[in-house]
Amino acid sequence: MRILTIACSLAALMAASPLSAQTLNVASAGDQNMVDYVKDFLGPMFEKANPGVKVVSVGTGAGDSGSQKIFEKLDAQKGSATTDFDVVVIHQKAAGQMVKDGLLDKYTANVPTAKLATGEAAKNALGTDVSGYVIPMFQSQTALAYNADMVKTPPSTFAELADWAKKNPKQFGYNGIKGGMSGVSFVAGWVYAFGGDAEKLMKGPYDAATKTTWDKAFADLKEFNKNATITPGNAGTLDMLNRGEIAIGPVWVDMFYSWQADGKLPPNMKLKLISPGMPGQPMYYAVPAKAGQKKLAEAFIALATSPQVQADGIVKKFNWYPGIDASHLEGKLDKAAWDKLFVDVTPADLAKNGKAFPIAPYFNDILEGYEKKVAN
Amino acid sequence: MSLSQRHLALILITPGLVLVAALFLYPLCFSLISAFSKDGSFTLEWFAKAFELYSTDMVFTVVIVVTSCALTALAAIVIAGTLTLGENRYIVGTLRALYRWPLFIPFIVAAQCMRTFLAKNGLMNNSFVSLGLIEPLQAVSFLDWRGIIATFVWKQTPFVALLLAGALASIDRATLEAGRNLGASRLRVLIELALPQVMQTLLVALVLSFVTMLSVLSVPLMVSGSQPTMLTVDMAFRINAYGDYATANALGVITYLISAGAAILYLRRGLSQEAPR
Repeated sequence: MRILTIACSLAALMAASPLSAQTLNVASAGDQNMVDYVKDFLGPMFEKANPGVKVVSVGTGAGDSGSQKIFEKLDAQKGSATTDFDVVVIHQKAAGQMVKDGLLDKYTANVPTAKLATGEAAKNALGTDVSGYVIPMFQSQTALAYNADMVKTPPSTFAELADWAKKNPKQFGYNGIKGGMSGVSFVAGWVYAFGGDAEKLMKGPYDAATKTTWDKAFADLKEFNKNATITPGNAGTLDMLNRGEIAIGPVWVDMFYSWQADGKLPPNMKLKLISPGMPGQPMYYAVPAKAGQKKLAEAFIALATSPQVQADGIVKKFNWYPGIDASHLEGKLDKAAWDKLFVDVTPADLAKNGKAFPIAPYFNDILEGYEKKVAN
Repeated sequence: MSLSQRHLALILITPGLVLVAALFLYPLCFSLISAFSKDGSFTLEWFAKAFELYSTDMVFTVVIVVTSCALTALAAIVIAGTLTLGENRYIVGTLRALYRWPLFIPFIVAAQCMRTFLAKNGLMNNSFVSLGLIEPLQAVSFLDWRGIIATFVWKQTPFVALLLAGALASIDRATLEAGRNLGASRLRVLIELALPQVMQTLLVALVLSFVTMLSVLSVPLMVSGSQPTMLTVDMAFRINAYGDYATANALGVITYLISAGAAILYLRRGLSQEAPR
């Protein structure tokens, strides 16, 4: 089986390599680190393996808005022979939409490493069946970061957090829903905790009447916000934690560890994934339906999702959880690098409290409900 | 065969007109239509939604922009007045060299600077603490509506001051000298003699600043949190999170009406001044 896998990837590489002097355009939604990852790490590696190929990496911006821009570009180029992008790195919400609109290629059968990603995220993007169209690049998770010097016993549920915030006004900070996904994740977690049936929100089916049952949760959140600090963005929350202006705030786990590794966060910061849980999400590798360099794109994704690259690039360099199943990374990663990811948020925490975002229609209902009942 | 002057002129301005039509008029009409229609028929649904979700932000935006304009006007008058009527050579020289600098700094850079300057443990508060002016515990963050106003005023003051100083320099010095000779203080000369003569310029500069501030996205996005926030952020959010261009366009029309309000105030003043003459 393993030999077959290697043979397949070799065949894919060989099929791609005669196509020399070509350009592979990779568009990434997400923060600058995603663009740099392709430009500085994956790109050179792929160029070395495929002489004459040039990898061009462009970023379209952080958060769902970056994916929205890719969506709009592909949609606008529907009528033309080829699109400008050969590989796109997108969020879940846009991935579902793009599959529905026929903008993506069903390519994963041609990529041997697709078999290594068997998690729910490889098949289901916020309620849309995306199997065959995407391979996860990485998985990320939000959690509460807290200053262990200022908070001796951190809250472990949303209810405890609400109490804590009441007793420590302005010491909890998050970025609302317009400044980045960690705030969106906190709000989704709040609705999971106080809005009733969280399972239904993540799995569907969608029932438009459900949103009326969230009124109490939103009213409480509005009250909660009076004691909270609204920060400007994901980085803004980390900034304020760093300066000691807030003591607790929701952050992306990978950003947290990267900042800590760069010395931009003091070592007394810790993470906690509180119950009933907060959402995380993967980013996907996908190939546009009208990509000009499909073979190259498939070879590129095969490389990017191979266990070694996932270990060296995704886990070691960027502190993300791997996109393929973690069991395939065994032996590729030293224990220290692996354990570093699970210091504060243990695999057990992750299994119990690492949630998915709600399916797309509920997701929009939550955001709009927040705008209507909490922010306005 | 030679082209007449008239034809030549037409040919020369055609590229400009085409550009304006293609890049401004066409998108403008498109947005207007999208804000007022759903599936091809007329509707006010998007406006209802905009008011339902963002009425607080509309008030917030107007308050921020009007306050910023007022403070900008005040600061610009002080600077331009000092430049024109100041008698201390060194002060005037230094001010003249310094005051234009913010003009050359983009809003996004200004916003980033303010983020580190106005934060609770930022440069400003740290300076105050080390000067012994405040205790560390008294330090408060200005990264909210006050931060937005501070950034706007800092960024727009040189622009208004530049226009105002130019206008003040060109008015007849004799009236000002006469005022001084009759014993009026410099402040009084500025307020009662000089300013009325350049009020029109000041208003033009303020209306332009008003429209500029109304359209800035980076400052509210970077400096303050998102509740409440300015309409530009809401527009970006509508598009980015929902791909909902209709409501975003409705918000755009509302922004357009707010800036039209400023323009109308300005025009009415301009007309009433000209009428009696």
